[in-house]
Amino acid sequence: MTPFGKHLERSLRDLGREACLAALRDAGVRPSEVESGYCGNALAPALQGETGVGQSVLWEVGVRGIPVVNVENACASGSTALHEGWKAIAGGFCDTVLVVGVEKSVMPKGTMLNVGAAELEAQLGDVFPGTFALMAQQHMARYGTTREQIARVAVKNSGHGALNPYAQRRKALTIEEVLGSPMIADPLTLYSCCPNSDGAAAVVLATGERARRAGARAIRVAGSALTTGTYDARRDLTFWPSEIAAARQAYEQAALGPEDVGVVEVHDAFTICEIVHCESLGLCPPGAGGRLIEEGATALGGRVPVNPSGGLLARGHPVGASGVAQAVEIAWQLRGEAGDRQVAGARVGLAQIMGGSQQGDVRACTVHILVRD
Amino acid sequence: MGAPEPVVVKPGLFRYPVPVGEAPALLGCRCRICGQTFFPRREVCPDCFDTGAIEETTLSGRGVIHASTVVRIPAPVGIPAPYAYGYVDLERAGVRLFALFTGAAPTAFAPGQEVELVIGPIRVDAQGREVIGHMFRPAGRETDR
Repeated sequence: MTPFGKHLERSLRDLGREACLAALRDAGVRPSEVESGYCGNALAPALQGETGVGQSVLWEVGVRGIPVVNVENACASGSTALHEGWKAIAGGFCDTVLVVGVEKSVMPKGTMLNVGAAELEAQLGDVFPGTFALMAQQHMARYGTTREQIARVAVKNSGHGALNPYAQRRKALTIEEVLGSPMIADPLTLYSCCPNSDGAAAVVLATGERARRAGARAIRVAGSALTTGTYDARRDLTFWPSEIAAARQAYEQAALGPEDVGVVEVHDAFTICEIVHCESLGLCPPGAGGRLIEEGATALGGRVPVNPSGGLLARGHPVGASGVAQAVEIAWQLRGEAGDRQVAGARVGLAQIMGGSQQGDVRACTVHILVRD
Repeated sequence: MGAPEPVVVKPGLFRYPVPVGEAPALLGCRCRICGQTFFPRREVCPDCFDTGAIEETTLSGRGVIHASTVVRIPAPVGIPAPYAYGYVDLERAGVRLFALFTGAAPTAFAPGQEVELVIGPIRVDAQGREVIGHMFRPAGRETDR
């Protein structure tokens, strides 16, 4: 993957090429051996006026003549590309697949990313931080979760990001800095929200036999689940049913449970999200996510480190790339290649991300479980 | 040149202008088979899958706030900060909807509070037209209505 951050002078092709070359070299796979390509990108049609980004990026590295699919599933675009690539391998259609996620979503200072603007809620004035602020308000009222507990997610993840050379925000924040940054939507402050970012990430997927032949230090995809919202207008705002379903499917596929997981990457676009995801992924009971972060269980050195990369909050969030970057991070962690942010001895990793909004529910959620055999 | 004509935020959500002598009301739909009510209107009941069973229905203009927040950044569509919004559970229909709050300070709204519907300008669009939408304000006493 590329470092995430502001790449004002670099194109989508340029970023994508760097990530694809790194993945192909790591896997010991030549471009001519790739049988199918999947590219996650969400915003290029709106922000750069580009379509067919997958073909553009793969052209850069000489991958041609094969099926290439562009995948848009909002913040879950990259992870959906991963899921589709996994299906191609698991279904027996391909032996080797290249998955890339790429995005340039850094906005001029003072402007907001105006995506999904045609939705009624957006037309009425809804903004992403507000959507998640409503969730935070509900979680606080229902479970007694505190502003401090929610802010601790940003403190933890900024601390992790400070250890990650690929992260956009590399400064560890104090709880005073998080709580004292400008209020965006009550109770979420500026540092409770992930930045807009540019960057790319890529992985090569292959059958076990093909991976062994390449001599790669392969990590097994033990579970891959993609779900859609239930769109129940009266749903409980303290969790997403689609995430519960995706987690259950992925755990069942992997024949593993939350107690087996040693390292986790989740969609912390806003601090409250991580608390909710920890609950829905079974790392703690419903409502206990605030205490889990407060006890330090999800920090590096804790029982089950969550977002050792810094997560979306610190690594940054190039929308279409984030889901692939999570898989890259988990793979590095399981191989023991994560440098200063290494989680000791993790054998099973989990990545969760979600995206889009429809009737107040999420449109897409993925959960991937990766295993070092 | 007079002010440009106002536009509704989305057609079909409510009658506009509000007919004289009528209370403002949202237009939803109801499935005649299972009885579920939806807002905004949809063409097919997601559970019954019968296009002929959807009928328009007028929703109660009173409800209770389910969740609320105050947004401190301007909305890209042109709403200056601060402003309040959240989800409102409408009386009777079982409908929960997203809406802006109005008629009191943004910090004055909280879950459990009774609110009533207002149809009016929510913002000005890029062409300088008033955009008419649905909002909720603190409910008056029954005798005031």
